[in-house]
Amino acid sequence: MATTLRLYLTCIRNTLEAAMCLQNFPCQEVERHNKPEVELKTSPELLLNPVLICRNEAEKCLIETSINSIRISLKVKQADELENILAKKFLRFLSMRAESFQVLRRKPVQGYDISFLITNYHCEDMHKHKLIDFIVQFMEDIDKEISELKLSVNTRGRLVATEFLKQFI
Amino acid sequence: MAAVAIHQFAQCITCHAWSPDQSMVAFCPNNHEVHIYKLFGEKWERVHVLQKHDQIVSGIDWSVRSNKIVTVSHDRNSYVWNQEASEWVPTLVILRLNRAALCVQWCPKENKFAVGSGAKTVCICYYEKENNWWVSKLIRKKHNSSVTSVAWHPNNILLATTSTDGKCRVFSTFIKGVDSRESGASSSSNLKFGEQIAQLDLSFTWAFGVRWSPSGNTLAYAGHNSMIYFIEDVGSSPSAQNVALRDLPLRDILFVSEKLVIGVGFDCNPMVFTADETGLWSFVKFLDEKKIAPSSSKYGSQFSEAFGKLYGQSKPAINSDTVESSRPRGGAHENCISCIVPLRKPGDTIVRRFSTSGLDGKVVIWELDGHH
Repeated sequence: MATTLRLYLTCIRNTLEAAMCLQNFPCQEVERHNKPEVELKTSPELLLNPVLICRNEAEKCLIETSINSIRISLKVKQADELENILAKKFLRFLSMRAESFQVLRRKPVQGYDISFLITNYHCEDMHKHKLIDFIVQFMEDIDKEISELKLSVNTRGRLVATEFLKQFI
Repeated sequence: MAAVAIHQFAQCITCHAWSPDQSMVAFCPNNHEVHIYKLFGEKWERVHVLQKHDQIVSGIDWSVRSNKIVTVSHDRNSYVWNQEASEWVPTLVILRLNRAALCVQWCPKENKFAVGSGAKTVCICYYEKENNWWVSKLIRKKHNSSVTSVAWHPNNILLATTSTDGKCRVFSTFIKGVDSRESGASSSSNLKFGEQIAQLDLSFTWAFGVRWSPSGNTLAYAGHNSMIYFIEDVGSSPSAQNVALRDLPLRDILFVSEKLVIGVGFDCNPMVFTADETGLWSFVKFLDEKKIAPSSSKYGSQFSEAFGKLYGQSKPAINSDTVESSRPRGGAHENCISCIVPLRKPGDTIVRRFSTSGLDGKVVIWELDGHH
């Protein structure tokens, strides 16, 4: 189980190293504007082929690149209904605070749970290898956090139920 | 071959150019100004700030004989700066562009300069004395996307351009009244302005950094698919060679001599390419010896810590059990190198020194030793 995770993350890391070659590019459609081309999608020659990396049917990562921006969308593992709710709430919590993360997108791309938008300005301010480390670390931590949350929900549920039902003994 | 000098000028440098005597360097620190620094002994001091543009200055070129600086910017404007006494005075350039200007280069005779733009056009500007401004003639309708790089052939007429549509094109830029019709020019039938001499469709992705060799016989440009293309005899019977790179793509190249090319790009390390006696080009080596920084393994996978290491602080690289973090390269440049400029001594046919600038805000001067 752990080996497939490592392969998955290594594959994503290598793809990001190749894809995150961004440069400042002014908008061709509107004068004096500078927009992330991966969001705009008006000039097809400025977009590269999107890459989809799947660990299994439930977990995948979509990487779309353009000349000045890259969008990474993740679908995290959601085994049962409880994990579904936990993942949704947790990732919504993070996405709402996207400003402090800088590279996070406020709304995930359709069909995915969370999305990152990295532009050339981020690559100028921050080191590229550290950005990639952050994304990969994030993916690892998401799984751990959701497992922890699920565990604590189940533990609490058990405790509450035990306490409540004690009065009927 | 090593880095002779490393100077940290700003947080991020877009482009740079050297003065004719190489005592001053002009660069854009990723904003709308151009800073000129002069070397006083061992220290660099800022002597001028050219402030006329409204948006980031994307191209700077400093002419060698006439000592003029031309700057182009994303705000669709361009200015030619002349040094009068101790001030730099801008002269208006009528560019007639409706999108950002991306690159600029003086022609070898320094009576014209070419500007590549996001409007899918190339502007060739020449000086009009009666009105004291520079007017332009546009090469329209030939490019399908933004023009990323321009390069003049030594004969002052031919211009090579690369574009984000993946093609490299060669045009004639003969302007009546500015250029003289020399009998030596071989392509006399194509002397009309804007005439496309050749279109090279070798790269299926964006093309950057086109340059002619010193004799004008070879043309080279880099593609974003991590390839570099060398084309001989563009005019008569072009023959192309593709050299694939092992690592990340290049952004700019420089012909050091007829047989030696330096490429710089996202690897943060200049690459050397040479041609052997048969004319076959190949990759030789990286210029910078990489030192792999030792990674300290430290636990910790909290979001705040992961977030903190984004800013290149001196926090040790977090090394968790299942995933190795990427090692920071220990080279002269820490971020992508975007610009390479030759430092030519007058009278030298080959370039011995050149400088590179990148998104890490450093200008690094490299020197080649003798045996190449």
